[in-house]
Amino acid sequence: MLLDARSPAPYPADVPHLRVQAALRTMGRYVAAALVVAASTGTAWFVFGAGDLADVVMVVLLGVVFASMHFGYGPSVLAAVLSAITFEFFFLPPYFSLAIANLHHVVTFGVMLTIAFLISHLAQRVRDQAEKARRAGLLAQTEQQRSALLSSVSHDLRTPLAVITGATSTMLSPQAPEDEGARRVLLETAYREARRLDRLVRNLLEMARLEAGELKIKKEPQPLEEVIGSALDHVEERLRGRDVDVTVPDELPLVAFDSVLVEQVLINLLENAAKYTPPESPIDLSAVASAGDVTIEVSDRGPGVAEDLRERVFEKFYRVRDGEGGGVGLGLTICRAIVSAHGGRIWVTDRDGGGARFLFTLPLPPSPTEATTP
Amino acid sequence: MTEAPVVLVVEDEADMRTFARIALAAHGYRAIEATTAAEGIRLAAKHRPDIVLLDLGLPDADGSEVTRRIREWSTMPILIISARGSEPAKVKALDEGADDYMTKPFGAAEMMARIRVALRNAARRSGAEPMGVVQLGEDVRVDLPRHAVTVRGQPVHLTPIEFKLLATLIQRAGMVLTHHDLLEAVWGPGHEDETQYLRVYMTHLRHKIERKPARPRYLMTEVGIGYRLRLEPQ
Repeated sequence: MLLDARSPAPYPADVPHLRVQAALRTMGRYVAAALVVAASTGTAWFVFGAGDLADVVMVVLLGVVFASMHFGYGPSVLAAVLSAITFEFFFLPPYFSLAIANLHHVVTFGVMLTIAFLISHLAQRVRDQAEKARRAGLLAQTEQQRSALLSSVSHDLRTPLAVITGATSTMLSPQAPEDEGARRVLLETAYREARRLDRLVRNLLEMARLEAGELKIKKEPQPLEEVIGSALDHVEERLRGRDVDVTVPDELPLVAFDSVLVEQVLINLLENAAKYTPPESPIDLSAVASAGDVTIEVSDRGPGVAEDLRERVFEKFYRVRDGEGGGVGLGLTICRAIVSAHGGRIWVTDRDGGGARFLFTLPLPPSPTEATTP
Repeated sequence: MTEAPVVLVVEDEADMRTFARIALAAHGYRAIEATTAAEGIRLAAKHRPDIVLLDLGLPDADGSEVTRRIREWSTMPILIISARGSEPAKVKALDEGADDYMTKPFGAAEMMARIRVALRNAARRSGAEPMGVVQLGEDVRVDLPRHAVTVRGQPVHLTPIEFKLLATLIQRAGMVLTHHDLLEAVWGPGHEDETQYLRVYMTHLRHKIERKPARPRYLMTEVGIGYRLRLEPQ
């Protein structure tokens, strides 16, 4: 869903080719409808001969019903007309001729044709209604998601705003606390919440940009060490008091990636580790190269992620516990979108001795020696 | 300083101007305010401020245009104020000659620190007195005239390019240098797009100077923009 907008558009040269394919598919449905008529007529012929017309009509109409249900409106009309004609040809005297001997059989032919048409129309109506119901269902689902999202986001935005409004209006009121300590606490609270609001809005905007398909990745070969260093510098304040162990081997090859986006992935993972683990627990960050890619890992000593939630945590607006951490449940969704856009993958697993390991890969270009080996 | 330094604030948001004016006054600076690019260019020429704070999102023209126009006649320091996620616009303004940037939202402390660094660099530039020995934190000592570097007391050998890179960053210590700026200064015109070279040399330099190259204290990466040398680790 996220990535659809970025999937490569077909080359202009491919369009006529696709059109031919679509035309072939349509033709195939008409041929199939004709074959179904041939099959039902043949079955009726061999089973009943020209004996009992009522049984023959049942079998032939069964063919029309089948064609109507499976091949769409046009082919079903073809099946209706064809089966009426074959019925007349094979089963109404004079046999093997399109002439009709008596008035009674003209009526039989007419009724047969009418019923076949009715079946085609009814099948089409059922199809239309099913489609309408499906769309209505989808719409309702989207609406429900949208309102859930709206209430979740407005709650998340209102909380910091309420604190900021409360703290600053207290400072402004004639009854503002005289005590310097209390004034400072109010201001610090307002400042902290403003920073939180900034992070929330940043994630919301980033998500909106990703969804709008505006994600243009600018891949450049570069050392991972740089972007790791800069991401750590960004979250420095929030990691204070923790042991952060960084292991990046000197011989790590250059990796082609968009530095701004991959920095965002690292910042989100580090901020999550800071938010969801005890204040002084350690965080480890490492990178290791294998044959085709580099795996970057951010691991913590927090409560970990329960096994059944390890996919869900990457879903949009999903949070393990509402209200905890003060985010909107977009950080990991953004990470996944960015990593996928680079052709890598991201997942979470548990850690020996407790904690969570968040890992993501970035593909390595084929090494130059391999590329030039004949 | 005997006279209060003058800061031209070019910003269309009234509340941002109020914040800047009050914070600047509290630190002994005098603010002049402009709300459009045209007014900014006019006031820069009229008042010859010591430094310009320039918002990139002005209603009438973009900030790099203002930078270009001011750079036609002046080297006064220009500090860009921009929103997050607009790296290309920042890089454009920096390459037009702006000196540094701040990303909104920022606090008064960050703003004052950036202004001080820019003013210090400008003062040194105009004095044209060559820099002698520069100390980075407690770890690194760079003797610019002698091309000698010691890291935690040990002499360290830098290749000529590594040294030139370090010296270029030191000349503008505390301020951002775009990839383009560094490539032009170190490798010369015509090499501005060879960012990969620059990254490899920066990595070498970082490994020779930093205790933990993946958590640098001095040679900072500004992702998507360039590099910044910190004189004092934070």
